[in-house]
Amino acid sequence: MHAAPHYDFVHAVGALLAIAALLSALALLAVKQVHEQVRVYAVQSAVAAGYTLLVGVDRAEVALIVLAVATAVIKMILIPVSIDRQITRRISEHEVPLVVQVPMSLLIGVTLAGLAYWSASALPIHGALLPSPALGMPLALVLVGFFFMITRQNVISQIVGLLVLENGVFLATVAIAPGLPFVIGFLLLLDLLPAVLFYGVFARLIAARAKTTSIEDMAVLRG
Amino acid sequence: MAVWLLIALGLALLAACTTLAIGDRPASGWVSAGAAVGAFAAALVAVFVYHVSQGRHALGSAFFLDGLSGVFLISVAFVYAVVAIYSVGYLMPGIGHVRLRRVYWPLLNLFGLALLATPMMANLGVLWVAVELTTVVSALLVTSEGSDESLEAGWKYIVLGSAGLAVGLLGIVLIYAAGVPTLGDHYTPTYSILAHAGPQLNRALVHAGFGFVIVGFGTKVGLVPMHAWLPDAHSEGPSPVSAMLSGALLAGALYAVLRVGAIAQLAVGATYVHTLLLAFGALSLVIAAFFALRQTNYKRLLAYSSIEHMGIVSLGIGIGGPIAAYGAFFHIVVHAAAKTLAFFGAGGILSRYESREVDDVRGVITVAPFTGLMVLIGALAITGVPPFGIFRSELLIVTGGFSRSKFAFAGLLVLFANVAFVGLYQTFHRMVLSRGDDADRENPRLRRPEQPLMAAAMLTSLVVVLVLGLWIPGPLDQLLHSAVGVIGGRT
Repeated sequence: MHAAPHYDFVHAVGALLAIAALLSALALLAVKQVHEQVRVYAVQSAVAAGYTLLVGVDRAEVALIVLAVATAVIKMILIPVSIDRQITRRISEHEVPLVVQVPMSLLIGVTLAGLAYWSASALPIHGALLPSPALGMPLALVLVGFFFMITRQNVISQIVGLLVLENGVFLATVAIAPGLPFVIGFLLLLDLLPAVLFYGVFARLIAARAKTTSIEDMAVLRG
Repeated sequence: MAVWLLIALGLALLAACTTLAIGDRPASGWVSAGAAVGAFAAALVAVFVYHVSQGRHALGSAFFLDGLSGVFLISVAFVYAVVAIYSVGYLMPGIGHVRLRRVYWPLLNLFGLALLATPMMANLGVLWVAVELTTVVSALLVTSEGSDESLEAGWKYIVLGSAGLAVGLLGIVLIYAAGVPTLGDHYTPTYSILAHAGPQLNRALVHAGFGFVIVGFGTKVGLVPMHAWLPDAHSEGPSPVSAMLSGALLAGALYAVLRVGAIAQLAVGATYVHTLLLAFGALSLVIAAFFALRQTNYKRLLAYSSIEHMGIVSLGIGIGGPIAAYGAFFHIVVHAAAKTLAFFGAGGILSRYESREVDDVRGVITVAPFTGLMVLIGALAITGVPPFGIFRSELLIVTGGFSRSKFAFAGLLVLFANVAFVGLYQTFHRMVLSRGDDADRENPRLRRPEQPLMAAAMLTSLVVVLVLGLWIPGPLDQLLHSAVGVIGGRT
């Protein structure tokens, strides 16, 4: 006998947040302006923080609630603001040249999301407050983030792609390993700061040298 | 034991802070070299005096050393020490080309710190953080020559490396989730807790988790087809940095793969882990050997050789059994020595000829006999010619392959090690022994005397790779055997 699926308010909010995270990843593919891409990332990070908070409240775990707040501070504010400052200070052009145009990107994005849900359904695992398959949405973010990263010829966009990929991994962690010791979760989050700092140094060096953050000219090393 | 591990880490951290404070002065080099040699000595004491073979925790459950981590710890500590000594000479005025000198030493020491920490950590989460730190620090070191190419290489490296590590983290999270039904929601993913729960871990999640780990961390190991960043980063970074990337960074990432593999095999059986290692190892060996044949840049050539050697180690552990796995772990140690020697020699050439192109370098032996000789010996050592250590380790892997009836893989190793030999040796032979331009002999830049510290670093690496080819000291032998007990030995 199958137990009737248990739907309640928190599950409904969880499902909505999952949809919002997925849509934010697809929205990223439609956005050409660099600073808007950073904003989409900030929104997606808000969704990730919201989901962490929801799981934390539902499980009555202070560690997750603190992690949610830290996520909000670092990923919604610190990282987007620091990237935005790189852009406004250094870069003249704000529109990113695309290897794959927007409609095709969206089509590929949707296909990747489908692929993510399909492969996640093979894994026998329940996610905290997420509709099944739990890893579908996080994996979709990983794939779309990676696709975005390799098809956008701009250092800032590539950083955003990486951060979206990282958001996917973060959401997977909260969904399937919410009990991961706080110290480790926090270390993983804090680890983003030096990483972004170093990306920033690179972006500045590249911008200073080429007066652009486009990497179209970066094609000397091959083979 | 904790004290010695803390001394090793503390020295690297102290050197990083001190060199940041004193900036681009000769003292920075001496401080770094002293700290790195001290860290190496402390690592040797921690590994060999405290009998880590059976696995020991230290500082509560913050550190963990066993045979597997011991092998990698002494290898990365050795590389850090010789690279720091070589760098003191390389950064002296008029020798190596390093433009971002002020940050070179702090970054090199931070790189050393993260590399030393990698095999010491006792849990999967912190292990990931340590490996991630090696990426961000070393990517900036790659750019320290200040050229456009080095910037491109550094960027490619940090983007691909970070993406790979994010995938690796997903793998670690899946392994963690695999333990939740047995270990509860809130356990710390130390190796010993996970290993203890081994057979009860969720098999499907471990399958997926190890798959993500080998692809993710494999990006940093340079396994084909995730290797795109590696030839650029190795060729465009300053030579001592290339040596550290090749001898220590790749090994550190491979350590993470093997550590997770050691846990995964307890849950899903050794065959799955071995098969993935065999597949990536064989592909890396074959592709890298072919690419080595067509390189016109000698540092890129050495980079492809690194991919080949990481492939050989994966192949050895993938073949499994006591002989091949022993050979593979021994290969980690001797590769660290042989590849530092080769990159140091390449650095000696680059600092004289100021070109990475093979065609621009002729008759090294007539203008710089010592460097020429070292490069040639390095090329022989790295391609597995007797009596050097690499010959011994490859022979062990091949013997192990035959003893386990894995003839195809053993044959593949014999064939493609020879292809790589042809690619590497003929190139370096041409550069060193062919007749050079007569004008070169009068060129003061080419004829500058050997820098003693660079020479000392090369000789140290040479002695290690030569002695280990002839004799394996008892404690090292014991350590290698215990590493085999952790992964590779199971069938």
